[in-house]
Amino acid sequence: MRKYISLLVIMLTLVSHRVRADDATQLFYTLRTKIATVKDYRADVRMKIDVSFMRIPQLKGTLLFKAPDKMRLERNGGLSMLPKKNINLTISNLIPVGNVTVIDIGNVTVKGKKLRLVKVIPEDDMNNIVLTKLWIDEANLVAVRAETTTRNDGTVIMDLDFNKYMSFGLPDKVTIYMDVKDYKLPKGVTMDYNNEVPVAPKDAKPKAQKGTIEINYLSYAINTGLTDAQFNK
Amino acid sequence: MIQLLRIELYKIFRRPRTYISFGIVTAITFVIQLAMLTDGKGFVNFALSGVNEQFDIQGNILNGYLITYIILQSLLIHIPLLVALVAGDALAGEANLGTLRLLLTKPISRPKIVMAKFLSSFIYTVLLIVWLAVVALFFSLLLFGKGDMINLKSDSFIMILQNDVMWRYGLAFAFAVLAMTTIASMSLLLSAFADNSIGPIISTMGIVVVLTILSNLELPLFTIIKPYLFTTHMIGWKGFFDDPVPYAAIGKSAVVLFLYTIGFLLLTIVYFNKKDIKS
Amino acid sequence: MHPIIETKNLSKSFKQFKAVSDLSFTINHGDIYGFLGQNGAGKSTTMRMLLGLIFPDSGSIYIDGEEFNNGRRHLLSKIGAIIERPDMYGYLSGWDNLKMFAALSDSSIKANRLHEVLEIVGLKGREHDKVKAYSQGMKQRLGIAIALVHKPDLLILDEPTNGLDPQGIAEMRALILSLSRDHGKTILISSHLLYEIEQVATSMIIIHKGKKVVEGKVNSLLNPDETFIEIDILPDDHILQKINASEWKPSLGSIKQETLTFKMNPERTPQLNCWLVGQGVGVTEIRSKHSLEAYFLSLTDDTVITNRAL
Repeated sequence: MRKYISLLVIMLTLVSHRVRADDATQLFYTLRTKIATVKDYRADVRMKIDVSFMRIPQLKGTLLFKAPDKMRLERNGGLSMLPKKNINLTISNLIPVGNVTVIDIGNVTVKGKKLRLVKVIPEDDMNNIVLTKLWIDEANLVAVRAETTTRNDGTVIMDLDFNKYMSFGLPDKVTIYMDVKDYKLPKGVTMDYNNEVPVAPKDAKPKAQKGTIEINYLSYAINTGLTDAQFNK
Repeated sequence: MIQLLRIELYKIFRRPRTYISFGIVTAITFVIQLAMLTDGKGFVNFALSGVNEQFDIQGNILNGYLITYIILQSLLIHIPLLVALVAGDALAGEANLGTLRLLLTKPISRPKIVMAKFLSSFIYTVLLIVWLAVVALFFSLLLFGKGDMINLKSDSFIMILQNDVMWRYGLAFAFAVLAMTTIASMSLLLSAFADNSIGPIISTMGIVVVLTILSNLELPLFTIIKPYLFTTHMIGWKGFFDDPVPYAAIGKSAVVLFLYTIGFLLLTIVYFNKKDIKS
Repeated sequence: MHPIIETKNLSKSFKQFKAVSDLSFTINHGDIYGFLGQNGAGKSTTMRMLLGLIFPDSGSIYIDGEEFNNGRRHLLSKIGAIIERPDMYGYLSGWDNLKMFAALSDSSIKANRLHEVLEIVGLKGREHDKVKAYSQGMKQRLGIAIALVHKPDLLILDEPTNGLDPQGIAEMRALILSLSRDHGKTILISSHLLYEIEQVATSMIIIHKGKKVVEGKVNSLLNPDETFIEIDILPDDHILQKINASEWKPSLGSIKQETLTFKMNPERTPQLNCWLVGQGVGVTEIRSKHSLEAYFLSLTDDTVITNRAL
């Protein structure tokens, strides 16, 4: 009898897990569909790039996005500076496309908020994304954090804060943590002015560092029908 | 003194040779601008290759501000030659011409003559740098337009917003004047030693080239003497394009250059005051 | 009244070379003072010391009774000078050069003074040409104009006839005499040619290897009675007896083979020649040379003086 009970418990557990996994898969697809409803947007942004070897002031401009992966920062004659397109600033690029396997990790609490953590693995082996972890606010159906491991671009973490544009799944503030390769030019080329900042001994090989990009979205104009030409200026 | 200075300036600016310097500055500036017009994109891509791997930079990178920086970077190494053309000639050239003995038999003290020579060389230097600022900045902005300025250091990438650039150039040119004044005073000292102007001009260039190499060598021995070489501090103008601007280091560099200038000038006065004029 | 220049025991060496050694001399107001010496004798070095271009190792210089080092600036304003070549700024006009140096001497000098000195040196009409287009003589004149413009009491002219053609030399000589006579300047003039000094100077000094050889009034130093008359004759065994028996005996200096040397006023040379011919002596050549010149020549390389018409 005890054997049966044990079996039953195991089966129930399996079933419930199955149910929960299906639930999570459903949650992921629903979320992905919601994200996909934004075909394009134009947003006034304040962008702060914080990478150790880069010193860039806060950039004000208009960020243009067109699904799936077009992005451009317009700065009224100033320079546009965006991470290479594999690491897009929009969450749609951090989640795999096509068929995926979703693993439910369960509920976690982050900063007092109850979130559902899922792991998403694309079925297509050739996808640049190897694995994405999503922290999902189920009530509002938005991902507040994504951690994507890519084949070529290291691991990218994105934190999203929602407020006014929650219903469109669009954040007010995005913080991206990414891997950046170190950068070095020969001193003979640049002829640096040494301002006596003590130079830490450096490895010969460029080593990976963390970089942060923080974007504040002030306002969005969504699905206005941006054309491709607007991204190729 | 004012009279003497006016006469020195008169001599400098009535001489065709003086304008060759302004011509050279203009010509080199235009050559660099032309090269950048035709080949600038490739140059920028090469320079930015380290950053481009990870970031996608778009817009008018090759703008007037960047071009001006490139012009300054390549030209400020050669401007000592143009400064020496006048300052190195100031005493030696007159010795060679034979006018020095006539000048020195006039009722004026020798230190005053040296001071007038120094001040006139200084004014020439200022005008040369102002001219450089005009042709480099004005024409580069005209040809390449405005834009955010990127500045590449060996270990960092700096971006300066376009409305944040001009004051940096103002200070950078002022610093360049100071650096070139140091060269002028050194040239004047060498000029006091010599009886023809080729010597001081070539010596000035020789010293600048050798010390610049020492300043850039990454060897322990040179690291010790580096802070004491004026050539190390001559590129202090670049500090104004850093973020944050290293004011303390720039200030220190300015003090070093100033002390060198005063030192060279005093040596010139002391030596020249006792020199037998045999030319 | 103090002498305008007085030097006491001036000495100057350049490394091992003693350029001027223990040199003392005096120049009085109104003199045209000849400074004679072969090239390298120390003339230029001395003049440069008088102008503060070269600093003496020892000795002192007084200008108008005042020690030079104590009042260099205002003493220099009493002096106008050309040292060696009259070098100017070739890319400027004569006028511009003159105006500039005038301003350095005395900022209150007006344009009419510039016209005045250009008139004196005879450059009027050419003053606006660039100096590089000037002949050597014009440069000399401009040099003198510059030396004169601030109305100095003393002019120091170092070899002012150097590089001039014969006409230029004659004009320069006339100009120097006129500056002394008409403008009351004291003039120190150097030369390596005795006859040049002799023609203009009132007093003179000869220096050799940096040392004074002789100093004095020209008319006493160049007393005509001190002239050597050299006469080449055909061989004559009795020439000495003939002279000893004649009025020419006191004048005879020496007899060397076929050359007789007399020391006398050259005005009597024709009479001497007549007498010799009357005695049946075959005269082949007569040369005259002042004893001072003979002496000066003995110091110098004699090629220096060959351009003198004897």
